[in-house]
Amino acid sequence: MADEETGTVDGARTGGKFLTFGLGQEDYAISILKVQEIIGMMDVTMVPRMPPCVRGVINLRGKIVPVIDLRTKFEMPRVDLTEETCIIVVDGLAGEMGIIVDRVSEVLDIAAREIEPPPVFGAALNTDYLLGIGKSGGRVQLVLDIERVLSAREAARAAAAASAETTDDAANQETGNVR
Amino acid sequence: MNTNSAAIEDVAATLACVDVDDLVAIAALADRIGSLASEESAPAVAGMLQRAARKLRAVAEDRAKNPSANLAAANKLVAASSRTRKSEPAPPSVIEPAPARSLRPAEPEAAPRPTADESGEADAELVNEFVSESQEYVAAAEQALLVLEENPDDRPALDTVFRAFHTVKGVAAVLGFSRVADFAHRAESLLSPIRDGRARFGSEYATLSLRAVDMIRSLVGRTAATLQGQAFSLPDGYLELMDALEHPERIGVGAGPSPEAPPVAGDTRAVGDAPPAGAPPAHHAASAEAWVRVRTDRLDQLMDIVGELVIAHAMVAADGRVTADQARDLARKVAHAGKTVRELQDLSLSLRMVPLRATFQKMTRVVRDTARRVERRVELVTDGEETEIDRKLVDALADPLVHMVRNAVDHGIEPPAQRLAAGKPEAGTVRLSAYHAGGNVVVELSDDGRGLDRDKLVARALEKGLIDSAEGLGDQEAFQLIFEPGFSTAAAVTDVSGRGVGMDVVRRAIESLNGRVDISSVKGKGTTFSVRIPLTLAITDGMLVKVGGERYIVPSSNIRITIRPEPACLKTVAGRGELVILRGEAIPMFRLHRIFGVDGAVEDPTRGLVVIVGENEGCSALLVDDLLGKQQVVTKSLGEFIGKVPGVSGGAILGDGRVGLILDPVGLTALARQQPNLADGPPLAA
Repeated sequence: MADEETGTVDGARTGGKFLTFGLGQEDYAISILKVQEIIGMMDVTMVPRMPPCVRGVINLRGKIVPVIDLRTKFEMPRVDLTEETCIIVVDGLAGEMGIIVDRVSEVLDIAAREIEPPPVFGAALNTDYLLGIGKSGGRVQLVLDIERVLSAREAARAAAAASAETTDDAANQETGNVR
Repeated sequence: MNTNSAAIEDVAATLACVDVDDLVAIAALADRIGSLASEESAPAVAGMLQRAARKLRAVAEDRAKNPSANLAAANKLVAASSRTRKSEPAPPSVIEPAPARSLRPAEPEAAPRPTADESGEADAELVNEFVSESQEYVAAAEQALLVLEENPDDRPALDTVFRAFHTVKGVAAVLGFSRVADFAHRAESLLSPIRDGRARFGSEYATLSLRAVDMIRSLVGRTAATLQGQAFSLPDGYLELMDALEHPERIGVGAGPSPEAPPVAGDTRAVGDAPPAGAPPAHHAASAEAWVRVRTDRLDQLMDIVGELVIAHAMVAADGRVTADQARDLARKVAHAGKTVRELQDLSLSLRMVPLRATFQKMTRVVRDTARRVERRVELVTDGEETEIDRKLVDALADPLVHMVRNAVDHGIEPPAQRLAAGKPEAGTVRLSAYHAGGNVVVELSDDGRGLDRDKLVARALEKGLIDSAEGLGDQEAFQLIFEPGFSTAAAVTDVSGRGVGMDVVRRAIESLNGRVDISSVKGKGTTFSVRIPLTLAITDGMLVKVGGERYIVPSSNIRITIRPEPACLKTVAGRGELVILRGEAIPMFRLHRIFGVDGAVEDPTRGLVVIVGENEGCSALLVDDLLGKQQVVTKSLGEFIGKVPGVSGGAILGDGRVGLILDPVGLTALARQQPNLADGPPLAA
């Protein structure tokens, strides 16, 4: 259902407009149709007992919106906030969500033929949330299935439950800062 | 066509990046989208684009109340239009050039798919309207049937029933819900002989019609469920009831033209007697234009925006240029604006309030059915049904109330013979009343039945091991025993009450609404249950506490007292479980920062504060850094993604625009007890 509902698999094949953003040295791309707005970094209220990648919640015009740290989600090391750090608000299946990225780059046209299937690393790296590798403007963009990135909710729940039981060992290992 | 798809994506991209203050760019976008809409051939897509353009134009012309929200909405619309557009089949002319025209008739079969979204949306709206309207009509019919049972000659009541069945039938037929329409038709036909004067409305008619009402309700409910993608299935007993309605004489209803009404039955009869207080359903149509039906999400949105306004105002009021000595005049104006803003907030809250009338009317039926089944004669008297309460609480209150009413009829009221022997009138009275008290609504349910037998309750509790001794047990505490899980004094398990889901469910339900139940009872005279719940859960009165870099709101209703502990009143159990001794009572202490994993909080309890929350066994002391003051906040959900967080009941926007979490002390205590290394030791009550 994810495929049909989100149209993302289709979206990759047909290409279109993508918002590109950066995490460290890597460039990522998500379909522009998923993007609702881009806001500057703001104070995030921590929500206890969430998986480490859930930074907390923000006030988006009176609405409480969860914020995901994409770096943590991808198990990349944390970095300090910069002027360029911002939150991309996407319209996901579970409502509006913010994702924290290092910087937002530009809106790119990526044609279907410019998108190659995602590489397979096997057990070392899960690439389920990659729709493919885009090659546009002489650069490489990792095209994300943002729904899939965010729909890790069930997994996140399970992780939270498990970490509650094992008294947060895993969580501490991963980032050592949330708990 | 393809160029158009790309154009829409272009617009979407620009829209995502446009600055809300850049009115020129927004105006240009509005024009661009408007022209795309006019070029668009698929009406669904064009419609969405037009709506998006309107939203943007409002922003550009500075008419939008909330420009950012408009932008976001426009963005969603454009995205949706693009999706719809993509699912459009490629124009047939490209694939099959020649016979395009001759193939036309086949096209519409395939074509509606892409627009199904939009038309589905329109349908959903109609269905929603049908559902809510039907529910109202069905409730009115139910009420009227109960009146008719008392007074078979009440013509307006009969008309109300007819109008209800007829309208449901009509609308259901238009929407293609043939099962509902057929059923409503039969229900209507059943009563035709009565309207024509060929039969009299006896209680057997009432029973059958009430069953029909229930069936329509459940049919409508299932229809509504289809909107959530559930398949429609017929409720149990549908066919049987259809049959009964068509041939009522087979089950002894209206058998033979009975010119004289069977005098409304004998001793097994219930007097489900609602004095038709409140408005008769007939007024419904008359004052229709005085009402507006508003979607609840719009009300929520209004609350959100007004909440923002309150915060924005607070920021202005705290600004140095306003608080400066020489700015008195300005300060006065700001204060005046503040008053208006608060009035606006009160008003937006009051929009969510609905009278308890419908809930009380439901109880009329419950009393009737229960009394019938357990062979009691009961009269229900209601009072204060105009008392208003938050819409969300109405539904939440109904279930526990049904249970309590059943209990009152089944366990409270004695059988007629016993009543007569005790010198009481044969028919018992159950009184349901409601009133406002402070920020609460009190719903009282009293009966003039046998009352609670304190000694029996205590004996039972001892036998079940719920208490160790009856010593020092006050009346109130003894009565509260009936709320303990597994406590039931009913000797026989009936299908009415005593199914093991007892009063403990009632108490839990009420407590989940931040309410409580008190009991007073005099043996032989009757029992009164007082349910006290807040007017609304939309506003939380709380204490803002600081823990490390985080701030939390503790609901005032949960706080017993806040103290700065002296070293002398801090004890430990087995070196780990921490206790605060307060007036001789030992209360387990939990460190909030440890439960929630907050860094940089006060570690030394004598330098922080402990907030004592909860009562009895649920009592605990939460260690926090400091109190930041009282605050009234608008309660909000943390959203689907975050879901339910143990120890947290919701969130709120604080005065500085940040989100603060509202604590759920009961859940928090439970959570703290689960964590072995935080604090353990059984809750020691002194």
